[in-house]
Amino acid sequence: MTCDDAASALDPYVDGELAPDEAATFLQHIDTCPACRQTLEQRRALRRAIRRVPYRQAPERLRTAVATAPRRRRSIQPLLAWAAMLLLGVSLGAAGVVLARRTAGVGASDVLAEAVVDAHVRALMADHLLDVPSSDQHTVKPWFVGKIDFAPPVPDLSSDGFALVGGRLDYVAGRPAAALVYRRRQHTIDLFIWPDAAGGAAEAATVRGFNVRRWWRDGMAYRAVSDLGSAELDAFVRALQR
Amino acid sequence: MPSHSFEASVLPHLDAAYNYARWLTRNDADAEDLVQDASIRAWRFVATLRSEDARAWFLTIVRNTWYDRFGRATAAATVAFDETRDDRSDGSPDPEARVMQREDTDRVQQAIAALPVDFREVIVLREFEDLSYKEIAAVVGIPIGTVMSRLARGRDRLQDLLEADGPAGGRV
Repeated sequence: MTCDDAASALDPYVDGELAPDEAATFLQHIDTCPACRQTLEQRRALRRAIRRVPYRQAPERLRTAVATAPRRRRSIQPLLAWAAMLLLGVSLGAAGVVLARRTAGVGASDVLAEAVVDAHVRALMADHLLDVPSSDQHTVKPWFVGKIDFAPPVPDLSSDGFALVGGRLDYVAGRPAAALVYRRRQHTIDLFIWPDAAGGAAEAATVRGFNVRRWWRDGMAYRAVSDLGSAELDAFVRALQR
Repeated sequence: MPSHSFEASVLPHLDAAYNYARWLTRNDADAEDLVQDASIRAWRFVATLRSEDARAWFLTIVRNTWYDRFGRATAAATVAFDETRDDRSDGSPDPEARVMQREDTDRVQQAIAALPVDFREVIVLREFEDLSYKEIAAVVGIPIGTVMSRLARGRDRLQDLLEADGPAGGRV
């Protein structure tokens, strides 16, 4: 291990994120390199210093407000917040109706678009985007073996500007699906894949502000969901279909 | 799938939410508002919680609420590190011990607050909440590799800030 390697292993080591063999290699280097040993000592000292900073505890009035406010609406502020939420809900609902009508108008009929957007939002909200975080297609693909009864293709699209960040097992309308997660700038793209020999017409839809694309290939159904703009999501789909 | 109640999922993590909010906003009143708003969202969405880790889930909501409210512009702003506030000097020549000597918590606290929020929040989630890289990635909405590099750069900056504060100047 070189000092450069040790420098990039330093923080994962301190944070307990290295695999045992990586940690052993790192420690071997530390044993023989005084400069890196000192850097490690500085990191440890910094951690002790940071952890001595007092933890900010929630004030009692906040605790009381949160415990009682959302449902009993005793204070003005949560009431206002609720009113705002309600208003937002109504306007989103209205927007949804308009969108639904518009997509219906052009013959869109992806009955699963709603379901994949739900799955996408749920994953983002519920801290469950990735079961297997990895940018390596050869790590992500084998991970699905034994979890689902099909082998989803896991293409590397980094040269097209879409970085693979991992995958997870998800469910779309009650059936298991492989969800591959790609990233473009700050945007997350979920690619849902499941076996479906029936096939159908490729289609674009917009659900609650998320763009959805569907297509079939080699006996698999595909849905791509993202808050990415239409043109860029189309580029993603084209890269996949190449 | 277990069902989650607001009482069991959100209330136990109020301190974590407040601590994170306080470090995001650097202000007591804003932090309280933020946690209240986030709690309302959490109450609304608690039925969608399917992960066992309610704390990371709630912290994600705090983070999203903060982001929606304050936006990128505010998020990117930083407060200058007040180097004049504490002019105590401890001119120990021992470089090994340099960081150790500056463990005054006030100063450390100030230095963390002076970091750009991108670095500040990953350090807070890692050191105060003990979240794994994977959990931090989910809360902040960035890849795990970015968590790692932000932690490394944030800590480098912190060390620089803390060491520059002393008479011995730069790093070894």
